[in-house]
Amino acid sequence: MSFEIRQISTTADGREIVRSAANEKTQISIGRSSENDIHLQDLAVDPMHAEIEQLGKRRIRVRATGTLGFDVDGKPTLDAEIDAGKGAELRFGGHRITVSPGDEAGVVLTVQRVEAVSDASEEKDEVRSFSLAGTMLGKRPLAWGLALFVLLAFLAVPITSYLLRPAEDTRNIYEVMKQKGPGEDHVFGDASWSSGPLSKAHHALEGKCESCHEKAFVSVRDTACKTCHEKVHDHAPIERIRKAPGDMGLGRQVLASVGEMFGRPGVGACATCHIEHEGAGPMLATPQAFCTDCHSSLSERLTDTKIGDASDFGEAHPEFRPMVQVTPGKHPRFDRVSLAQKPTDDSGLKFPHDVHLSKTGGVAQMGRRLSGEYGFGDALACSDCHKPTSDGVRFEPVDMQRDCQMCHSLGFEMVDGTTRTLRHGQPDQVIADLRAYYRSTGPAVPIQLGGMSRRRPGNYADGKVHHAYFGAVAARPNGADAAIAAVFSKGGACYDCHTITPPGVADNANWAVLPVHQTSRFFTKGWFDHKAHDTEDCESCHSAPTSKLATDLLLPDLKSCRDCHGGENSNTDVPSGCALCHSYHMGDGAPWVSNAGVARPRTRAQ
Amino acid sequence: MATKASHIPRQKGETLHDGFLRHAGFKWAKIAGGLSLIVIVAYLLIDVTPRHNGGSWYGYTLGTIGLGLILWLTMLGVRKRKMTDGRWSLKAWTSAHVYLGLSLIVIGTMHTGFQLGWNVHTLAWALMMLVILSGMYGIWMYATLPQALSNNREEMTQGQMLDGLRAIDRQLHDAAQPLNPEQAALVRMSLEEDPFGGGLWARLTGRYRNCATLAAQTGMRRWTGSQPDTGNDPLERVDALLEKKQALLAQLRRHLRLRALLEIWLYVHVPATFALLAALTAHIISVFFYW
Repeated sequence: MSFEIRQISTTADGREIVRSAANEKTQISIGRSSENDIHLQDLAVDPMHAEIEQLGKRRIRVRATGTLGFDVDGKPTLDAEIDAGKGAELRFGGHRITVSPGDEAGVVLTVQRVEAVSDASEEKDEVRSFSLAGTMLGKRPLAWGLALFVLLAFLAVPITSYLLRPAEDTRNIYEVMKQKGPGEDHVFGDASWSSGPLSKAHHALEGKCESCHEKAFVSVRDTACKTCHEKVHDHAPIERIRKAPGDMGLGRQVLASVGEMFGRPGVGACATCHIEHEGAGPMLATPQAFCTDCHSSLSERLTDTKIGDASDFGEAHPEFRPMVQVTPGKHPRFDRVSLAQKPTDDSGLKFPHDVHLSKTGGVAQMGRRLSGEYGFGDALACSDCHKPTSDGVRFEPVDMQRDCQMCHSLGFEMVDGTTRTLRHGQPDQVIADLRAYYRSTGPAVPIQLGGMSRRRPGNYADGKVHHAYFGAVAARPNGADAAIAAVFSKGGACYDCHTITPPGVADNANWAVLPVHQTSRFFTKGWFDHKAHDTEDCESCHSAPTSKLATDLLLPDLKSCRDCHGGENSNTDVPSGCALCHSYHMGDGAPWVSNAGVARPRTRAQ
Repeated sequence: MATKASHIPRQKGETLHDGFLRHAGFKWAKIAGGLSLIVIVAYLLIDVTPRHNGGSWYGYTLGTIGLGLILWLTMLGVRKRKMTDGRWSLKAWTSAHVYLGLSLIVIGTMHTGFQLGWNVHTLAWALMMLVILSGMYGIWMYATLPQALSNNREEMTQGQMLDGLRAIDRQLHDAAQPLNPEQAALVRMSLEEDPFGGGLWARLTGRYRNCATLAAQTGMRRWTGSQPDTGNDPLERVDALLEKKQALLAQLRRHLRLRALLEIWLYVHVPATFALLAALTAHIISVFFYW
């Protein structure tokens, strides 16, 4: 009956030294205190930690004396009986005591420190400990993880979704637009590919990329645009458009040829000019450069073109060529003549603007007299006779009844307070009315012919009056011819304004008036909107107050417009790109309706 | 350090240490600066309609240059593992890496045409900027920290610092043997504290709120505070040892903090570079996928 206590210690170079001591007691103590039989220099061990009692030949009992326990084969306990023959491993703090059978009836307790004195004393990988590597995820897993995430989220997911979308996507853009919300989009995750928001007009297509980007790696085709924009006119035959562009500079040429190599449609395709993903709001107006690529020197390449070269409104733009009436009449002839040739416009009317706009003289005086009734000012103004159209873009033709007749009365008889007037625009009716007037009315009845009083014979004077009167009555209808001739001749009501052909001339059986055509729009290839100019006086563009003839063409010329307007990048009051006045797709109603819907080109200030 | 201005005029033929920043008389700084200037001037002069973006011919040009640069800059990771000297020495390579990398700020940003949004294209740009900024931080740290690191070490190697700590631990352990369990537990707390623990935040800030050694000493003072120092009280010895350990720990932690500040940028720089390469791939493929 004895214990053999073997203490194993390790030298600095790792060699183990075993010191063995026999203890004959049947009960030995374990603890940090030096008086213990097994003295463990271990702060995790109580000064008097446990006792081991030998119960039988090989049996021992280990019992903690304090509150701290110990481990038996890894299990914490306060009291344990152990068969030394089978062996066991006890653990006290950082020490291990292995129980094994001794030679005869003894028990061997092998004591060894298995834990370092302190954490710092444990073996440390110096490189790793002193660097950040131990405190966070390594660079390599972080790098691969992030890269994989990006590739999955921004490439694998959208492409997979694109490939797995319904094979037969028969929806056209209208159907796509009707569907709200991202749930309806057939391709998931491709919104992250959008380089910027779509313009206002295409907003409903946001996120539904495949509506326009129909095929992978194939650029947007005109067919996609024309699904909705069915009625867009071509600018010109495509063969001519292809021939039209001039030198675009090396950079753009290289880009164009690379694009062509990969099958990107070039000049003339919708997307060449209309650039999307440039931000929400109105689609950017096509910049001047897209026009001038061709038009700055179009005549060099399309030698048969009738269009003048233009590269910038302020610097290189042909003089305006308004459509003027060269010959008036029933079958008028119109022609586009450059303003440089000082063309005239003959509507068939006679009208001196200067007389009507004069601040002095009969017209002004008459206007003042009628100002109470018609609201004229001290002299007549343009707006007294010219009425704008409801959209304000241009002016209605001058109307005789409405715009002239307040002064130029066609009244010829008063019946019970009502003035009878000659019918304007119907010379035959005028003639008929005058004949009827002379037929149905007599001369004024002399006063002495009135009454029922009996007359005495021999009153010669009365007889003369009687004869004169009835002679006049008989001759009255013949007076109509003279009156008709007077109306149509110089000094008459019609002649002042109209060109009159007398009977017998040019196969006319009767008096005839040359038909009048007032031109409502002189510029047929470009927009002009009077409303946009309503801050200006009429006279600043139209020199009406000095015009003596109705045939004077009172249009402002290019130079006059350039007072305010310059090219897109100019420093003028109104930098104006081509699109301010011109439309690429002439089918939009141009030039007959307002261009209020046409986007204003970008200006520097924006 | 490399960036410290040398005020001693250099003799012809005299070779002094030249850091990668000053390499070859700032050759790469001049090249990269010139390149950036050309790119900016061209950006201002070239009239791209309707406005600058990555899809114009100039945008494609900048994008191609940028991509080439990024790929080449990434190759430093491969190159630095093979040291050679001469014209394409690792130093020359690093100098070019730094300055051409900085010029990417201009090239990459001009490529975007300042059209940024929540998409994969801007992600690539943002990652590129993150890589560059982390690199700039790294250079700044490399320029300023080694001096502080050296001052703090006081001629000690890292191994010596650790050994010093171990020696104090052993002494503590021995000195604490006579203590009662409660006091021994305090000492054990200090012994079992991992000097390299505390996590990333503690490393970077140098603030260890739950320092066990400090707690142990504070606890120990409960006994020693009210007793006169008789000179042979084991408690006093333990107290003195804990104080020594604290000083050593403070030095070690300053060292760890400086090293962490020196290293942390690479934990952004390298992973962000890989994420950037992935985002670039997605950027390029997506642009042509939905052309």
